[in-house]
Amino acid sequence: MRRALAVAAALITLLAVAVTAEVRLSSIQRADPLGKRLLYLPTAEMLGLGSLGNRGLAADLVYLWSIQYYSQFEPREQFLYLEKVFDLITDLDPLYFDAYRVGAMIMTIDTSASAAERREAVRRLYDKGLRNMPSSWELAEVAAWDALQQLRDPELAIHYAKIGAAIPGAPPRLRRVYGRWEEKAGQWTPEDSLAYWQAVLAEAVRKPDVILAKSHLYDAVARVDGRRLDPLLSAYRDRFGHCPDSWRQLVELGWLQRAPTDYVGNPYRIDREHCRLEPHKRIRWD
Amino acid sequence: MRAIRAIAVNTLREALRDRVLYLFLGFAVLLLVSSKLFGMLTVGDEGKVIKDLGLFGVQFFSMLIAVLMSVLLISREVDSRTVYNILAKPVSRWQFLIGKYAGLLATVLVNLALMVALLVLVVLLYEGQLDARLLIAGAMTLMEMTVVAAFATLFAVLTRPMLGSVLTLAVFVIGHLTRDLWLLTGHLQGEGVRWLIGAAYYLLPNLERFNFKTEVVHSLPVPAAAVGWAVVYGLAYTGVILLLACVRFGHKDLA
Repeated sequence: MRRALAVAAALITLLAVAVTAEVRLSSIQRADPLGKRLLYLPTAEMLGLGSLGNRGLAADLVYLWSIQYYSQFEPREQFLYLEKVFDLITDLDPLYFDAYRVGAMIMTIDTSASAAERREAVRRLYDKGLRNMPSSWELAEVAAWDALQQLRDPELAIHYAKIGAAIPGAPPRLRRVYGRWEEKAGQWTPEDSLAYWQAVLAEAVRKPDVILAKSHLYDAVARVDGRRLDPLLSAYRDRFGHCPDSWRQLVELGWLQRAPTDYVGNPYRIDREHCRLEPHKRIRWD
Repeated sequence: MRAIRAIAVNTLREALRDRVLYLFLGFAVLLLVSSKLFGMLTVGDEGKVIKDLGLFGVQFFSMLIAVLMSVLLISREVDSRTVYNILAKPVSRWQFLIGKYAGLLATVLVNLALMVALLVLVVLLYEGQLDARLLIAGAMTLMEMTVVAAFATLFAVLTRPMLGSVLTLAVFVIGHLTRDLWLLTGHLQGEGVRWLIGAAYYLLPNLERFNFKTEVVHSLPVPAAAVGWAVVYGLAYTGVILLLACVRFGHKDLA
């Protein structure tokens, strides 16, 4: 009995010493322990070999570790090798969707890099993802929104949205977003817009998508018609000193065969103040 | 055939009596605890992590059975002298060996089936849908273990029990690295060395041929030809190893 008590006491004492030592150790500040630890991160080839056919699991483990590691982003050193770590994960498992998404998200808040460096790092990771997963419109969509909302780079957002919208199986939502961004950026000619929204309309199933596509088509058709009809209105004004009251006056002159109508068949109005075609206002669902 | 079956069933019974199924318990704990833990730690698709980990566990614990059982496969029968009783009956040495091998494989199969079933269930609970493709990965792991178990049997005949286990483990490790051996030939100078390494590549088992985990986890198409040829490769390779084991066991002095 006495011996058992002595053993138990020894066990408790040793355990207490171990716990105390651990507590003391964790309170001691070490010089850049995290950065140095990262220096010994093996290459994807070595990890792949060591995983004995479980590269996906090796990628998971580095990914899980990286999330814990980079989520404590107070010191500047914490972002060390960020790109290399996510490069390693995506080399081990090139189809790891979350690694691209989360890696890029962490890169957008990397306080140790300049805005331009952040942009390039995010772009490199997403480009690698889209090379490895060319059919993933989901990744392109995430990249587009990250570029717009995190990096505030509409041009890059349009670049990714365009890639995503062109991938077979991409939802109308993504095509709608791409079309809207492209139009907003003013990069499209009316013909580009016409062709794009006609293609969207042809595949749209949901009512909001149909309405939005028609709405954009309405504007595109009005812009095309304006390019043709506005010079006629100007010519009339030059000749008669005032803008015509209605299209009928142009028809009577033989300049038009009939009063022009818009995309949905209603006659255009004339903005007499500026003497140009005036389309009806449309309500959009976007 | 009856003799082989009787020996196989007996080997399986012995393994179950030795509580080999405790390994399944280990797998279950690993899967359930880690899936819960990883669920808390990961950001994004927990299902992928669970599948990766589960398929690794299925492979690892199956390999562990093959390695651990190779220690006991023949030596126990010799030590307890039951092998003499068996061979005194109308049972030839090759039948005894194949029976032991079949028993080992059956033990692996029982464990593997339980592990895969649990994995499918856990994935079903997490993702809300049945992922039958896990069965493909499980079946191909069984094919991999068919080869590993054949080596375990061969080493049980050739060497001392502990060394046999170490060698079986070595084959498992090497079997996953042979593809890199093949890639190495591209960087080598000299026809002779390249030929030698090429020969080693074909002689050593390429266990990566049974690895369809990436396709299963990422829902990619699994080429039927790749599965079919992997099965052919596994069966042929197993046949060669078992034949060698039978030849050696036929001449082994059991005294």
